[in-house]
Amino acid sequence: MTNCIEIKGLVKEYKTFTLGPIDLTVPGGSILGLIGENGAGKSTLIKSMLGIAKPSGGSVTLLGVDPDHAKEDIGIVMDDCFFSEYLRVKDVSSVLSRVYRDWDKALFQSYLDKFSVAGAKSIKELSRGMRMKLSLAAALAHRPKLLLLDEATAGLDPVVRDEILDEFLEFISDSDHAILISSHITSDLEKVADYIAYLHQGKLLMYDEKDRLLESYGKLVCAKADLEQVDRGYILATRKSQYSTEALIRRRSDFKRTYPRLTVEPVTLDELMVFIVKGESA
Amino acid sequence: MTGLILKDFLILRKSLRSYLFMLVVYTAIAFSGVWSADIVGVLMVVIVMLLPMNVFAYDKQCQWDTYGLALPVGRTKTVAARYLCVLLLCLLSVALTSVLGVALFAAGRVEEPVEFMVSCSVMGLISVLVNAIMLPFLYKFGPERARMMFFGILGGCVLLIVTILFPLGGLSWLKSLELAEPTLRQATIVPAVAALAGVALLALSFLLSRHFYGSKDV
Repeated sequence: MTNCIEIKGLVKEYKTFTLGPIDLTVPGGSILGLIGENGAGKSTLIKSMLGIAKPSGGSVTLLGVDPDHAKEDIGIVMDDCFFSEYLRVKDVSSVLSRVYRDWDKALFQSYLDKFSVAGAKSIKELSRGMRMKLSLAAALAHRPKLLLLDEATAGLDPVVRDEILDEFLEFISDSDHAILISSHITSDLEKVADYIAYLHQGKLLMYDEKDRLLESYGKLVCAKADLEQVDRGYILATRKSQYSTEALIRRRSDFKRTYPRLTVEPVTLDELMVFIVKGESA
Repeated sequence: MTGLILKDFLILRKSLRSYLFMLVVYTAIAFSGVWSADIVGVLMVVIVMLLPMNVFAYDKQCQWDTYGLALPVGRTKTVAARYLCVLLLCLLSVALTSVLGVALFAAGRVEEPVEFMVSCSVMGLISVLVNAIMLPFLYKFGPERARMMFFGILGGCVLLIVTILFPLGGLSWLKSLELAEPTLRQATIVPAVAALAGVALLALSFLLSRHFYGSKDV
């Protein structure tokens, strides 16, 4: 299995924000879910990968080549539709068929039919969900091998999101394909992602297989006195309130064996993020 | 690259229709003899100046640049496509003004067709010149700031003319040159020279815009 994304020491410096250094690898046939709070650097990472924002350092290899040479095989969807409201849906195909070597008008039309997007409509008339579907159809109609999706499911209702997630799962059934998807809707990522990367204030805090990540961390809810007895090496972050004490525990199985009396629950990606952002470091 | 040129024309479709309507109205006024036929040429310059500004504004509205740079086109070709679009608009405006000039001549509203032809070429060159100055501003500062700056420059020029040239007798010195009516040969040379000068100006402007866009983080 070849790597579809290889990022080594990627840095992007702005006056008030620095992304990186980031090291990431996404193998073919997999989905990487990128999580992080607003302003964590998710969009900057995607833009830097494509050279839309010029990296200050490091290297990016997409589909085994330099990003500029891989763009024919990359589909991109951002958090809003990039096509002007003054265009009609069918204009998108007329324009992009002259941009992409392998643009398939019939495939584009089949996606529009599948997503129930009317080709004769102007983009102005489309709802947000329809625009996202149009963007996705445009991203898929040149038969890309890599999809880069930045908040592509934001603002969509659960039914549409489910349809789109199914599309992603079908896409990565080819082992030469991969998806990087950044999203605040962590339940979507829990459903489809194989790997999770967690960006916080421009730094990559966690990067691992999703299952391993969710298995290795746990949420301990206990009394303050019990928490004080726990070896600090297990505790990543704590949240204390007047009524309860919670801790994010690492090496969950090991912890369970060491402290069988204490109950550790599985942690969700949302809880993981909240603990790290709002919790007190141990 | 042709895809990007097509995209620009498609998003300008509505504006082009509106401007075409304005042109028809002004031509009708020229036909009626209320205004001189030269008004059509002046209107063309204004339209060709506004259209590229509109494209930049529409692109900014939908954040096209972010998507555009993810396409397999490259920054140089992206800028080149915009310049070709502007050049096509200038050529179209000259062609349309010439056609309207012929119609006005047939209706007896243009007395000197050769002079009108020279006037069309000069207007075409002015359209190119205006865009050659404006496009690098648009790439460097974006549509809102560039528009303000450009109109600031235009206002500055007018102020300069009013405060310096008018007290010195305005453009009366032009009359003192006693320029002869252009011959047909001169009238054919002017469009050719104007076209060459226009292309050279756009080429220089392109290099500047490419430099600005090449180093821009979107």
